[in-house]
Amino acid sequence: MKPTVRPSFVRAWPCIASDFSTFFLRLPPPPLAHARNIAQIRHRRIHSSLSPPPPPPLLASSPPSVPPPLFLRPPKYTTTVADLLEWHSWAKSLAASVGSSFEDSDNGPDSRLLCRELNWLMEDVLDGFDPSLMHKAVARDDPDVIVSSRADVQELYRLWKQRIEERRPFQYIVGCEHWRDLILCVREGVLIPRPETEIIVDLVGDVISKDQGLREGLWADLGTGSGAIAIGIAKILGDYGSVIATDLSPVAIQVASFNVERYSLQEKIEVREGSWLDPLKGVEGKVAGLVSNPPYIPSDDIGGLQAEVGRHEPRLALDGGAEGMDDLLHLCNGAASMLKPGSFFAFETNGEKQCKFLVDYMQNQLPGSFCNVNTASDFAGTQRFVTGFRNG
Amino acid sequence: MKISMAIQSLRRSLLPGTARSPPSLSSFPKLSGFAVSASVRPRAIVAASAAPGWRTGERTRRWGGFCSGNSEHDKALGSCFYSNGGAASSNYGGCSYLELSDEGLMKQCEMGTFKTSGPGGQHRNKRESAVRLKHIPTGIIAQAVEDRSQHKNRASALLRLRTLLALKVRNAVNLEAYSPPKELLQILPLKSTVRGSDCGPQIGPNNPKFMLGVQALLDLLSAFEGSVSEAAKLLGLSTGALSRLILSDDSLRLAVNELRASKGLKPLK
Repeated sequence: MKPTVRPSFVRAWPCIASDFSTFFLRLPPPPLAHARNIAQIRHRRIHSSLSPPPPPPLLASSPPSVPPPLFLRPPKYTTTVADLLEWHSWAKSLAASVGSSFEDSDNGPDSRLLCRELNWLMEDVLDGFDPSLMHKAVARDDPDVIVSSRADVQELYRLWKQRIEERRPFQYIVGCEHWRDLILCVREGVLIPRPETEIIVDLVGDVISKDQGLREGLWADLGTGSGAIAIGIAKILGDYGSVIATDLSPVAIQVASFNVERYSLQEKIEVREGSWLDPLKGVEGKVAGLVSNPPYIPSDDIGGLQAEVGRHEPRLALDGGAEGMDDLLHLCNGAASMLKPGSFFAFETNGEKQCKFLVDYMQNQLPGSFCNVNTASDFAGTQRFVTGFRNG
Repeated sequence: MKISMAIQSLRRSLLPGTARSPPSLSSFPKLSGFAVSASVRPRAIVAASAAPGWRTGERTRRWGGFCSGNSEHDKALGSCFYSNGGAASSNYGGCSYLELSDEGLMKQCEMGTFKTSGPGGQHRNKRESAVRLKHIPTGIIAQAVEDRSQHKNRASALLRLRTLLALKVRNAVNLEAYSPPKELLQILPLKSTVRGSDCGPQIGPNNPKFMLGVQALLDLLSAFEGSVSEAAKLLGLSTGALSRLILSDDSLRLAVNELRASKGLKPLK
């Protein structure tokens, strides 16, 4: 029986497709159209009064080739413990040389955090990270033991160099992020899901535990990125309800679709391409819950972001216009027409200021549309979310 | 030579040197300030020191969603960890927190994450998914930083909390009518004369149930004012054999020696 490569995998990681196809089976080279929506992306933010400074030259925008997430690659390489240790000790000293310089310059990671990342990298690279095998070799002082690995040692040198010298985010290096109980694949062009955002799923969990009608309804995650929130919600909905996940970015659509399939949620989550509420045409007034983590960073703050974020993550997912509120306001204005009476919404924001503004806006500028509009805090105690219900 | 140095370095980072001493929070340099105060005395409720650097969200996250998770982190969960808790309860004067389910224990906790400098959210990519649990009734604080997701860190922190509760919270023991609870018998060496054959093989420090036995042992030692020989008599062991058991586990040894120090006794070595 031939192993198969799922089409979404090929779309999401085009170049592995060829990698895998030589490994597993022959597949036609996947057709890809990255460029097609560039114009649309550029013109999306018609509400922005200030045109943002040109984005830094992004390694991120559309790399010519995207290797697959490390943890999903076949362990086809072998290396000796000695070689691995030599790489590890080189990588560790490189991390140590950083000290607190990144932290001091832009609140980036210090060497302690980088060393932790290094261990996580080992976890993903070593086949199943069989610590006992490493431990045994280490204990026996036997450096010639062969271990199987998902990347060859030369690539590990290259990857760690990218991590330190280019400040490429760790999650793009390994191709995944651990989020809630999920492992979500990510790559350049898709926002790395943040721990704060996990709470949106809990907020939804609270609501559906009290209202079976909402549990059985249609949910929408707008600007889904990697699909994190949509997948988190689909899992807590259990046997009920369904989710539409939308994104403007074709890369995000590919990656979200891939993650949805990896969790076998294709029946439950429909991934649709388009800007914000546009892909919800046809379900107006039928949505039981609307959630989003839209871009909310004020344009002026983009330049000062931590290098991992500002240089590598998609500006499309970060830049919320002059006050950071363009997309949030767009969502607030459009939400009422999508939501059915009694339905729920939750939006992530930049913090207290945006939260307060939105609560006030919804109560005073959109009177009668929503009720029980509130804010909720993230675990650092920052007011991060605006939640509420559609009147009716 | 170079290799062996590298091996040393890797050994340090790979081998869980802290494997059997989960409460040694000082192994996380930045966190040592939050470790439970060393001056804590048995029988005393642990007083929480303020924990600078941590903030707790206004909202306590529901633990339920976490526990019902299905998948990749299940092995990190201790959800069926203390399923046999009821058996020992008759021997304990006070309530035994360790008998609570994860969810029950979590309800007694306030959860915080690292205080983040700056605005957080989309601004930040630091993978500091550290979790800090403060057990409200006792003030004991447990935390975990080394896992990749908050979910896993919460599971680790909860396991650590259980260990700390076992080590730090003393239950009164009625010596007149004492019979060792099963949890304690299970961690005793087989040669103990009070240990019935129904106790099964000796449970070692790597078994999560070990801490239940440790708690009962510390309760007994505390009732005997730290005297190992008195406790050994009751447990059908020689003083040497009980000492060896105590010395076999770092966290147990430290707790016993702390108790002995408070009673003016010499530490076990």
